[in-house]
Amino acid sequence: MVTLQIALNNLLASRRRTLFLGAALFGVTLLFVLLLALTAGVTDNLIRGATNISSGHVNIGGYYKSTPSDSQTVVLNASQLKAEAKEALPDALRIIDRLRGWGKVISDKGTVQSGLNGIDLADESALLELLALAPAKDYIDNPANAEEVKGSLDALQKPGTIMLFASQAKRLKVDVGDQVTLRTETLKGQSNTAEAVVGAVVRDLGLLSSFASFVPKQTIIELYQFKPDVSGAVQIYLKDIDRSEAAMNELRAHLEKKGYAQLEHDGQPFFIKLLQTVPNEEWTGAKLDVTTWEDESSFLVQIIIGLRAISVFLVMLLAIVIVIGISNTMTIAVRERTREIGTLRAIGMNRGGILALFLLEALLLGLLASGAGGITGGVVAALLDAGGLKVDVDAIRVVLLSNTLHLVPRVFDIVLAVAALTFVSMIAAFFPALRAARITPVTAMQAAE
Amino acid sequence: MSAIIEVRGVTKDYPLGQLTVRALHGVELCVDRGEFTTIAGPSGSGKTTLLNLIGCVDVPTGGSVVFDGAVTSSLSDRELTRLRLEKLGFIFQSFNLVQVLSVFQNVELPLLLQGGIDVAERKRRVESILDRVGLSRFLRHRPNELSGGQRQRVAIARALVTKPRLVLADEPTANLDSVTGNSILELMKELNQQDGTTFIFSTHDHRVMELASRIVRVQDGRVVEDGRGDKSPVAAAAAAY
Repeated sequence: MVTLQIALNNLLASRRRTLFLGAALFGVTLLFVLLLALTAGVTDNLIRGATNISSGHVNIGGYYKSTPSDSQTVVLNASQLKAEAKEALPDALRIIDRLRGWGKVISDKGTVQSGLNGIDLADESALLELLALAPAKDYIDNPANAEEVKGSLDALQKPGTIMLFASQAKRLKVDVGDQVTLRTETLKGQSNTAEAVVGAVVRDLGLLSSFASFVPKQTIIELYQFKPDVSGAVQIYLKDIDRSEAAMNELRAHLEKKGYAQLEHDGQPFFIKLLQTVPNEEWTGAKLDVTTWEDESSFLVQIIIGLRAISVFLVMLLAIVIVIGISNTMTIAVRERTREIGTLRAIGMNRGGILALFLLEALLLGLLASGAGGITGGVVAALLDAGGLKVDVDAIRVVLLSNTLHLVPRVFDIVLAVAALTFVSMIAAFFPALRAARITPVTAMQAAE
Repeated sequence: MSAIIEVRGVTKDYPLGQLTVRALHGVELCVDRGEFTTIAGPSGSGKTTLLNLIGCVDVPTGGSVVFDGAVTSSLSDRELTRLRLEKLGFIFQSFNLVQVLSVFQNVELPLLLQGGIDVAERKRRVESILDRVGLSRFLRHRPNELSGGQRQRVAIARALVTKPRLVLADEPTANLDSVTGNSILELMKELNQQDGTTFIFSTHDHRVMELASRIVRVQDGRVVEDGRGDKSPVAAAAAAY
């Protein structure tokens, strides 16, 4: 208790030094919390985008090869597989299937490459909740009415329609009601085309919006000349997304028991396997491929890993500066307080007590300054997120996986940042504190005189 | 009366660059419980070195110091610390109070370090000793709000609050004017007579020595005179300077 009192009073007595170091710790913790919130926000964008646009929490995809080098991403008996998924994963909230295609969307004024998702609107209530019609200003240059929204999310109930994201509509220079041509290649290498009317243009949902559009299932079936009950993938949504990997393993085991041929698990998205892995394998026929949403969006996970790496690098760099600052300041403090150390040692404080005294000062400084920085960082992150700042630079949009700045301040991250910076300040103080503890009382008393 | 301190043929060397300087040469000294002894000598004579050895803040190069039956050179740092905490009190020339603590907290500090004393008992002992040294009105003051004499009184209270067997004072009046210095020594003498606490203090001021019941004169690292039993040890010591 007395050690705490001395440590606290010494911090208050050296106000300028405490404020200087405290400000540095405050700033670094604030930055750390903001970076963690940004990373969490990007992760959130990724999960939202990946699990709604391109994947379920767990997926049963499949490949069909008529010859070893030819491959197509299909499952041949979708309704049976949905039943298997229901049996294997009783905790599944929803089980749907989508058809997968890849082709060109061509308008009078532009062309985009897009993943064509064949959906049945009756199964897609969660997707419809996420999507919102885009105002004209999002995809039309100088619209007469910038805030006007056209079309309907129910448009895909009509055959021969397409729902585009705003960024695609902008590149194609199309509006709701305009006609586009879809061109794809069939299994046998033939090009097929279909006409579609833009039924709705929806707000972008990050990077994935640039590569995905939605059409009725029938459009894909006609483009690829699929037989009934052929689909692209069965998508399973769980109550708890964190159970995805366990659920995938359970489903794999179940399908194996039921005699389905499966690919070995490979944590890559289906289109990379379709283009690189599967055509190089010797087998022919059909094989299933059970994956998680993380597998399907692993190419985006690199962005998160990169962001984390940058955050850690930046914070480590600043932490080194802090370590040097605190270490030097503590060394000076030990020199200035040699008399105090000698007195305390003479009247009966042991080496451990001296060590604890200086470490406690660093602990208090670290805890108070980084605590304040952490809380402020959390509040700033929450305010920035609530502000919904628009990002206009494409390169930044790609990194953020969103068109708006999305930050998720989490209590765990704030506690982590505060603990890390407090630990850093204690590490910085350790060697000066050890030096103080090693001073013999007589040396300290002689120095005092 | 039994000895609390026995200094037996003590030498103390200090390295000084390539050289070794001998600060004490075979010093012999025995101090009984309850004595009020001064170690007198000019600057550099070895007084402080001798006090440091008696006070267990340093260990001799040769010979031995026996404190209350324990040979100090055979004790570990932890044991020496414990011994200082429980049996010794220190009064320093420059008071050496912890500046960031109040008067009350400075005096309470050794009791907190000892541990096992409840709050009420600590409060009673601190207030009682501060009352005895005439500082009961200054409990919440910081050292920098006190005069030199008041600070030294706090140091005395801090040294005595644990009821030590021996109190060591290294030139306790050196930083005080003569009136204040005399009052401090009067106080120490009073506490010595009332409680029977043994006091050893160093000085080179012969006016201060007048209050001592025994004067040990040190010169060039040797005890050159021990005034125990002399009728006028002060006069003899004063004559030497």
